[in-house]
Amino acid sequence: MKVHIKHWSAVAQWRWNTGNTTHDQDDEGDVCGICRVPYEGCCPSCKMPGDDCPLISDDLPFVFVFAFTHARAVVWGECSHVFHMHCLLKWLGTTASKQQCPMDRRAWVTAERKANEPSSTTVS
Amino acid sequence: MTSISSRRLRKELNEIQAEGCPTGITLLSADNFESWFFSIEILGESLYQGEVFKLMFRFDSNYPISAPAVQFVVDEDSTAPVHPHVYSNGHICASILGNEWSPVLSVSAVCVTLQSMLASCKSKERPVDNDRYVRYAPDNPKKTRFHYDGKRSMR
Repeated sequence: MKVHIKHWSAVAQWRWNTGNTTHDQDDEGDVCGICRVPYEGCCPSCKMPGDDCPLISDDLPFVFVFAFTHARAVVWGECSHVFHMHCLLKWLGTTASKQQCPMDRRAWVTAERKANEPSSTTVS
Repeated sequence: MTSISSRRLRKELNEIQAEGCPTGITLLSADNFESWFFSIEILGESLYQGEVFKLMFRFDSNYPISAPAVQFVVDEDSTAPVHPHVYSNGHICASILGNEWSPVLSVSAVCVTLQSMLASCKSKERPVDNDRYVRYAPDNPKKTRFHYDGKRSMR
């Protein structure tokens, strides 16, 4: 018997691994400190989910899949603080920021890899 | 005005309405996303016992990337607290409202900071250059470039 696949739809779910083991909706750690929107949502200046500012919502029939290594919407600093990329860039674009992390005022250095890679046991 | 500021402010307002303001702070009005008013008093031992002040927050469309303009309201009903960092026109010299602002701060956080600034006051005095500053001060305190050592200069 030969089977010809005419059409297929892939369905997957993703979530940013921000180092928090619990995914409590109210968990402060799961919202961007700048816009207070969950990491899973897009930053306030974006309306559409996409490569640069992904959005996941119950209303959406499609779920977008991103590999963490390619996704650039959320940035990790070497200080382990996490923000929406757009929110942080907006802040760093101001002279008032002095290029510092909004949380700890240390010089912002974007981490090469996110602070809590699943293989790593570091806890922020 | 659908902007970053209105979305973030809506969240802050929801939080304030759900959980209430910090102790001693009361929301007086927040009818829009441009200016909010709070009353502020210092509970416990302080030089401001029994005094209630009114705070005005003004937000631009870049909040929280840019700091809110915060001052005490001076009108028929309210005055500015007598404090070495508070001018008689209500303008406040506080670094977190200027060069130490951070977008992770919030309206509540600013209220609490100002409360502790008043609570820790040792002597009720106006800033040394009060009269000169107030005479030429701009309407919006954000237009003043304060030096956070007690002195200030105007832009």
